[in-house]
Amino acid sequence: MPARRHFLASVGTTTVAALTAGCSGRINESESDTTEQASQQSTTVSPTETGASIPTRENTLPLPLSPSALREAAQSGGPEKDGIPSIDNPTFVSSDKTEILDPGDPVLGVVHNGITKAYPQAILVLHEIVNDTFGDENITVTYCPLTGTAQGFDRGETTFGVSGRLINNNLVMYDRATETWWPQMLATAIPGPWNESPTIHSLTPIRVTWTTWKQWKQRHPDTRVLSTQTGYAKNYGRDPYGSYNPLRGYYADERLLFPALHQDDRYPKKTIVHGARTPEGAAAFHKESLRQAGVLSGTIDELSVIAVYDPELDTGYVYENPEEMTVTRDQEQGQVIAPDGSRHDPSSLPLTRVYSFDAMWFAWAGYYPETAVYAND
Amino acid sequence: MTERSQEQSTDATDAIDTTDTDRRWRKSISVINSLLQWASVTVHAIRHRRRLGLLVSIVGSIYFGLYLWGIGHLAPGLGGWGLTVVSNPLATFTTPALGPFSYRPIARLQIGAFTYLFSFNSVIGLALAILVGMNVAGSVLLWRQPTTCGLRGASGGILAGVPGLISGTACCGPIILLVVGVQASGVIITAFELLVPAAIGILTISLVVIGRQIEQIP
Repeated sequence: MPARRHFLASVGTTTVAALTAGCSGRINESESDTTEQASQQSTTVSPTETGASIPTRENTLPLPLSPSALREAAQSGGPEKDGIPSIDNPTFVSSDKTEILDPGDPVLGVVHNGITKAYPQAILVLHEIVNDTFGDENITVTYCPLTGTAQGFDRGETTFGVSGRLINNNLVMYDRATETWWPQMLATAIPGPWNESPTIHSLTPIRVTWTTWKQWKQRHPDTRVLSTQTGYAKNYGRDPYGSYNPLRGYYADERLLFPALHQDDRYPKKTIVHGARTPEGAAAFHKESLRQAGVLSGTIDELSVIAVYDPELDTGYVYENPEEMTVTRDQEQGQVIAPDGSRHDPSSLPLTRVYSFDAMWFAWAGYYPETAVYAND
Repeated sequence: MTERSQEQSTDATDAIDTTDTDRRWRKSISVINSLLQWASVTVHAIRHRRRLGLLVSIVGSIYFGLYLWGIGHLAPGLGGWGLTVVSNPLATFTTPALGPFSYRPIARLQIGAFTYLFSFNSVIGLALAILVGMNVAGSVLLWRQPTTCGLRGASGGILAGVPGLISGTACCGPIILLVVGVQASGVIITAFELLVPAAIGILTISLVVIGRQIEQIP
């Protein structure tokens, strides 16, 4: 395995190893959308100078370059720090009171702590970060329009903001406790001008599902929806980049606003892949192939994994599959059948789930240049 | 040389420096004064011609609308009618948004299919619109003079306003780059930061040039 991919795994592991005693074990079955976090979240908390804390993963995720090289690769997107304002006091309305969503409009869905929320892409495209609370847990929901990536993170006692910098066209967040830069897709600290030598570790992920309003509402009729009363005077009817419903503008064509970190022409740039990465490496599943096949197999480093498609939400889930279990899809029921004949929802196979999310191909390949890609033949 | 004579020499040098500085200042002020006078000649000439005043209003209004459209502060919205004002409008009014000369809106006005965002950019847009209108009207004034006067209405009024129209930035990068398909770089981002002051500068200089030519009208 290339050295650079593993560059940080040992660094982060060493840093937090002393604090990880008692970290949670793996949970193999759950109906929650957040199953995978149990396998990846540690109880590690990074104390900061301000007294706030940011929960981080047990093992650091791979970086494509050294942290300092990534800092050098950062470029201004135009706005200054917080020029794109995060939503820090979000308010929500019930699903029948939302005024901005058409059935086919994209939403970012989160189920956590027994609470279900939908974040319209139309709002997130103008804010990129929502510092929210799910019960007694502080969560930040993030979205980068230029890479089409949505991820959630446990934010502890701090909040995240938009730095105004981009790497690989991808949002660089910063936390307001330590002012550390966190490239969104990498979810890992890198040095920046406001914190020259942060501890290099990765954030604890929270599952965010990219789906349509119609599909999310069908699955979760009691969902709450982020309100347009954000505290800012914005036009949430205008996406400056184009549209997902119907698909047009930046989201549909081959042009990028900024150079990619690494060029890979295996697929058109804006092709959607469902990607998963662990400290050992990365794998991507061609989304359209996954949609058609229902189940795709692959490996991350030497570990077998399978990706399962959920037709109700048009999303995927990736599982570790060390026994190389063969599962099949029941197309009519939308379920997955295990070798013993047991049936499971795509989100709750009796395997360990790996955190995964949709991304535009150029962004995934830019950050994980040695990624394997699995598609339907 | 004695200490006293050295001090006297230093004092004399200082006096010469101060005189030079004063002279430079006076010259600069004089140049600015002349420029303003020429610009005011244009304004004065237009104010005394009702049709040209109307032309300024029409051209300025069109430019103002295009500017707001270009920066995304007047665009199709969510529909319906309503006014939303942020909680701390005075402090927000001068808060930078997506780059230099881009400010955070303090009010959202939903007017049917359109949404208007009010920010300090509306003030900037209004200033640009007046300048563009004046330039066009001044050019028309010169153009209508008899050719024997040797005057030409060669003002770049409308063209000079273009930088302001494309100064709008999206969340991450200038919108216009999406249209023309050019990738952003540090140089381009910096150039976009200069578009609004460049537009104001060019339009003002153009107004001065027009004023000088109007002065020659018998």
